[in-house]
Amino acid sequence: MDPEPSNTGASARKESTVKVPSKDPKKKDEKKDEDLSEEDLALKQQLELYVERVQDPDPGLQRVALESMRNLAGEIAQEYAKRQNEDAPIDDLMDLVQQIVAFHMKHNAEPEAVDLLMEVEDLDLLVEHVDKTNYKRTCLYLTAAAKYLPGPDDMLVLDIAYTIYLKFEEYACALQIALFLDNLQYVKQIFTSCNDLLQKKQFCFILARHEVAFELDEEMVPEDDDREQLQEIINNSKLSEGYLTLARDIEVMEPKSPEDIYKAHLLDGRVSASGTVDSARQNLAATFVNAFVNAGFGQDKLMTAPSEGSSGSSSANWLYKNKEHGKTSAAASLGMILLWDVDSGLAQLDKYFHSNDSHVVAGALLGVGIVNCGIKNDCDPALALLGEYIDKEDSSIRIGAIMGLGIAYANTQNEQIRNRLTPILSDAKASLDVIAFTAISLGLIYVGSCNEEVAQAIIFALMDRSESDLGEPLAKFLPLGLGLLYLGKQESVEATAEVSKTFNEKIRKHCDMMLLSCAYAGTGNVLKVQSLLGHCAQHLDKSETHQGPAVLGIAMIGMAEELGLEMAIRSLEHLLQYGEQNIRRAVPLALGLLCISNPKVNVMDTLSRLSHDSDSEVAMVRIAQGLVHLGKGLLTLNPYHSDRFLLSPYVAIFLFLASAVHLLVNDNIIIIFPSRMALAGLVTTLHACLDMKAIILGKYHYVLYFLVLAMQPRMLLTVDSNLKPVSVPVRVGQAVDVVGQAGRPKTITGFQTHSTPVLLSVGDRAELATEKYIPLSPILEGFIILEENPEYKEEH
Amino acid sequence: MGQNASGLNRPGGQPGDRKSDGEKKEKKYEPAAPPARVGRKQRKQKGPEAAARLPTVTPTTKCKLRLLKLERIKDYLLMEEEFVANQERLKPQEEKTEEDRSKVDDLRGSPMSVGNLEELIDENHAIVSSSVGPEYYVSILSFVDKDQLEPGCSILMHNKVLSVVGILQDEVDPMVSVMKVEKAPLESYADIGGLDAQIQEIKEAVELPLTHPELYEDIGIKPPKGVILYGEPGTGKTLLAKAVANSTSATFLRVVGSELIQKYLGDGPKLVRELFRVADDLSPSIVFIDEIDAVGTKRYDAHSGGEREIQRTMLELLNQLDGFDARADVKVILATNKIESLDPALLRPGRIDRKIEFPLPDIKTRRRIFQIHTSKMTLADDVNLEEFVMTKDEFSGADIKAICTEAGLLALRERRMKVTHADFKKAKEKVMFKKKEGVPEGLYM
Repeated sequence: MDPEPSNTGASARKESTVKVPSKDPKKKDEKKDEDLSEEDLALKQQLELYVERVQDPDPGLQRVALESMRNLAGEIAQEYAKRQNEDAPIDDLMDLVQQIVAFHMKHNAEPEAVDLLMEVEDLDLLVEHVDKTNYKRTCLYLTAAAKYLPGPDDMLVLDIAYTIYLKFEEYACALQIALFLDNLQYVKQIFTSCNDLLQKKQFCFILARHEVAFELDEEMVPEDDDREQLQEIINNSKLSEGYLTLARDIEVMEPKSPEDIYKAHLLDGRVSASGTVDSARQNLAATFVNAFVNAGFGQDKLMTAPSEGSSGSSSANWLYKNKEHGKTSAAASLGMILLWDVDSGLAQLDKYFHSNDSHVVAGALLGVGIVNCGIKNDCDPALALLGEYIDKEDSSIRIGAIMGLGIAYANTQNEQIRNRLTPILSDAKASLDVIAFTAISLGLIYVGSCNEEVAQAIIFALMDRSESDLGEPLAKFLPLGLGLLYLGKQESVEATAEVSKTFNEKIRKHCDMMLLSCAYAGTGNVLKVQSLLGHCAQHLDKSETHQGPAVLGIAMIGMAEELGLEMAIRSLEHLLQYGEQNIRRAVPLALGLLCISNPKVNVMDTLSRLSHDSDSEVAMVRIAQGLVHLGKGLLTLNPYHSDRFLLSPYVAIFLFLASAVHLLVNDNIIIIFPSRMALAGLVTTLHACLDMKAIILGKYHYVLYFLVLAMQPRMLLTVDSNLKPVSVPVRVGQAVDVVGQAGRPKTITGFQTHSTPVLLSVGDRAELATEKYIPLSPILEGFIILEENPEYKEEH
Repeated sequence: MGQNASGLNRPGGQPGDRKSDGEKKEKKYEPAAPPARVGRKQRKQKGPEAAARLPTVTPTTKCKLRLLKLERIKDYLLMEEEFVANQERLKPQEEKTEEDRSKVDDLRGSPMSVGNLEELIDENHAIVSSSVGPEYYVSILSFVDKDQLEPGCSILMHNKVLSVVGILQDEVDPMVSVMKVEKAPLESYADIGGLDAQIQEIKEAVELPLTHPELYEDIGIKPPKGVILYGEPGTGKTLLAKAVANSTSATFLRVVGSELIQKYLGDGPKLVRELFRVADDLSPSIVFIDEIDAVGTKRYDAHSGGEREIQRTMLELLNQLDGFDARADVKVILATNKIESLDPALLRPGRIDRKIEFPLPDIKTRRRIFQIHTSKMTLADDVNLEEFVMTKDEFSGADIKAICTEAGLLALRERRMKVTHADFKKAKEKVMFKKKEGVPEGLYM
C-alpha cells in the first residue's frame, strides 16, 4: 500500500512551500549533531518543517503535515526500539515525541498520540497534553486499549486514564477505573478529592452496584449524618425499595405461579410427561420456578400469598408437599422471593426456625442468607442468626447455615466468619458435604482476596481426605472454593498451584484446572486459553473429570472482552466437534456462561441443535439456554421438549429450571452483572452442574441458589438530589463502539425514548433525552442522581 | 392453539390430544430444525462461511488498539489451528469422509441434469424445472446444504427421480466475468502528461476510500461513491481509467456503455444488476463504464421499444449507483464526452459526487505530452518541439500522439532513421487537416 497516497498531488504544493522560513532548527541541530546519525538528522529537520507547517494558517498545508506526521511517528517508534537495544540515549527522541504528541492532541488525533507514547513507554507525558476538549476521547481509547495490552502495561494505562479523569474532575469515570483496578486506595482518593455531597452519593450507588465492601471514614466524609446516609447507600439497603418501585412502575407486581410460566410451551409435554416425573420432583421444580420468577417481589402464590387468607396454614402446606431435602429448597425459596428486603424477609422466615424438621430449618437458614445477599446491615442479622447453627449436629442444618453465611457475606472478607468456619474444615468428624460447602462459602466470602489462611485451611482439608472421599462429586467443591479465592488474581495463584500438584492424583488435575481457570477468569489471557485447550485436546477414558472445568475455564477467561468472547465461542464449536463426551457436556454450560443474559443468534442456534443430542446429559443445555435467555423478553422453547421428556425424566427438571431462569426473562428484571461476586456465584453453580446427576438432581439442588449472587436488577432508576425517584425521558438503544472515532459520534443506535425507570438489556446504553437534568454519572445504569441543569430554559 | 388450559393438573386431555400424541409416537425420525430461510442478500452472512466469520474490529482507524485486537484474533485462530491439527492427527478422518463421499456420489447418480429451482415448498421439498419441459415437485436430498438453496438458483437433479442432489455454485453471468480486467493495463500515472488536478481528484474519490478509509472517518465524511470524467475526445479519460486500473489492487471491472444494450427485453437491466453484484462480491472493486452516454441520455418520450429498453437500463443503473442497498466498497468511474446530454438524475450528488473535467491541454501539459511521446523516438537534432508546443492550435492529447506517430511514419517512408523537424511539420498539418474536416490549416488565415 501506498503510505502517502496523495503524494503526487501534494508534491507540487510541497515544492512550493519548502522555503517556509525556519526559525530555530539550527540551534538544536548543533547541540546534538555529535550523537545523531545522518538519518536522524534528516528526520529531525523534517519534523521541524512539519511542525512549522502545521502552524501555517493554510489548511492544505496542515493536512500534508498531518499525513507526514503519521509516518514520522512510526519511524520514531522504530528508532526508539533500536536505541533501547543499544542502550543509546533517547533524550533527543523524546523531544521530538513531545512535539508530535502536542501536535496530535491538538488535532483530534488522540489515538496516534497515545500509540506513540505507548511505543516509547512514556505515557505520563499524556497528562500534560490533554485538555478539556479531548480528554474524554483519550481516556476512552486508553481504557479500550487496556483490555488488550499484555502484562503490567494494562494497569499502567488505566492508571493514566484515572489520573486524567481526576485532573478533569470526572470523578464518576475515575471511580469506574478505580473499581476495575480493584484499588480501594484510589476510591478513597476520589472521595477525599470530591467535595460535592451529591456526587458522593452517586459514587456510593456505583459502589453498591459493584457490591464492594467499603467503609467510609471521617476523612472522606466529614459530616457524621452524611456519612451515615452514604454508608447506607453503599450497604445496598435501598436496593429492595428501588427495585419494587421499578416493578410497580412497569406493572409486573402481580405474582406469577409456575403454571403461568410453563403452560404455554410445555403444553404437549405435560400430558405425556406427568407419568414419568414423580410428583415430588415436580413440586421441587415448581418451587424453584416460583422462587426465581418472583425473586425480589416480596410476594408469590405458593409461599407467601395464601398466608394472608388462612393464616399461614396453606403456605406450610406447600412446604410440606416437598419431600425431605426438597423442603430445604422450599423454605429457602422464601428468602429468594423476599430478596434484598431484609426486615420483612427475616420476619417471614422466622416461623420456620422453630420447626422440628431439620430440613425446614436448614432451608430457613439458607433463606436468611439469600435475603441478605449483597446487603449489609450494621447489626449483622445474618451472622447473629446463622452463627449459632453452624456447629449443630445435623449436617443439613449445618450446610444450610454455612451456605447462608457464604451467600450473605460474599466478598466481604469478614474475619469473624472465617474464624467460625475454618475449624470446620479441619474437623475430622464433619462429613464431606459439610466440608465441601464450607470451602465454597469461604471461597465466596474471600473471593479474589488470595487470603493465605483460608487457602491453607482448604488445602489441608483436601490433603486429609481419603482417596474414596476425593472420588465423590462433592469433593470437587473444595478445589472450587480454593479457586474462588484467587478469582481474577492471575500470577498470585502460582504458589497454591504448586501445592496442588502434591494432591492425590484423583483430584490433582481437577484442582489444577480449577485454579488456573479461576485465577485468569476475565483476563482474556490467550496463553492460558491455549493451555486449557491443550488439556481438552486429549482423549481420555471416562474416569477423568478435569476436562469439564477446563472447558468452563476457557469460557471464564474469554468472557472478558468482546473479541475473546466471540473467538471462545468458535473454539467451543471445535470442542463440540472433536471432543469426547465429558467435554461435550461442558460446552453448553460454557456457552451459557459466555453469553449470559445475551441471547446471540448463533449461540442460540448451537444450543438448540445440542438439545437434540443423543446424550441426555448434554441436555443440560437447557440450563445454558436459560442463562442465555436471561434478559430476553420472549420464550423460545422449541417443540422437541415432548420427546426429550419421554427419553429422560431428568430432563424434566432441567426444563423446569430453564423455565425458572427464563422467567427472570419474562419479567425482564434481572440480569447478571459481571462483578467479581457475580462471577463467583455463576461459576459455582455451573461447576455444580458439571456433575448433574450427583449434585443438582440429587440432594443438593439448593446449590442453584448460588445464582442469587449474580442477580442484579437491570434497571435504570433516576432520583433527584433528595434521592426521590423522578421520571425523565431517556433514550435507550444499542451501544456503539465509539473508541477512536473523531468528533462526537452517536453512542447509541436504534434508540427508543422511554421514561425512567426503564430496563436495560445487554448491549444497551441509555442517554438522557432531556436537557433539564444533568446526570452525575456518565454511565447510566442502576441508580442515577440527577441534578437540575441551571442553564436549562423551558421551551414554549 | 386453544389448549392453553391443559396445565399441570389434567391427566388425560381431550381425545383430540390423545390422537395427536399417538401420531407423535409413531413418528420416530424428526427432521432437523429448519434452517432460517435465507435469500441472496443474507447468503453472504449466513452461508457456509457463517461459522468462519470473524468478529468485526471496531476502530477502523489504523491505531495500536486495532493492532492489538487483530493480534488477539490471530492468537485465537492460531490456537484453533493447533487444536484442530492435533485432533486431526489423533483421529484421521480421511478414510471416513472418502467413504461418505462415494456414498453421496452413488446417491446422486450419473449423469445429473441441471435445472432451476423454482420454489421451496418446505424443508425437504421444492418445485424445480429443467430447461425444457414442465415443472416438478420433488424432494431435496438431506445432504444438500439447504442454507444455500434459494429460488432461482441452478441445481443438480437426479436423472431419474429429478430430486435435488446438489447446487451449482458459480452463477455469475459469463457476460460479466469477461468484464473483469485480469491483466492490468500497462499505462500508469507516469504516462499521463499533466492532468495533475484530475489525477488527484480521482485518487481522492476512488482509490483513497478503498485503501485508507480511516482518513474519511477521521474527518467525518462519507467517501464519494463515484466520479464522472468528461471532456473533449482524446483528452485522456480512458487513459486515466487505465492508470487507475494499473495502480490499484482492487478488482477492476470495465464495461462500455453500449455493452449494456441487449437484444432482449430485460437483459440490459439484468446485466447491470449482475455487474454490480459481482462487483460487490469481489469488493473492494472499481467499476469503469466508458461512453456512458450510450445508455445515460436524458429521458424523453420514447417512441420505440428499443429506446424504452435503453432507458430502463439506465434506471437500473441509477438504482445500483445509489439505490436502496448501500454498496460500500464499490466505486464507479463513468466516462463520457457529452456530459450535457446525460440524465440529470445520473449526475446528482450521492450517485456521482465528483465531476472531473478534462480540458484540452495547456502549453505546459502539451510540452509534457510531447515529451512523453517523443521520449522513445529517435529525433534529429533540428527538431524543435517548442514550435508545436507554443502553437495556438487546439490539440488534444490524442492529436499530439497522432502527430508523433505520423511524423514517425513519414520518416519511415523515406527510410530515414531519424525523425526530422520537417516530418513533424508535415505530420502536424496532416493531423490538423483531418481534424478540421478537410479544411487545410492556414487557408483562411
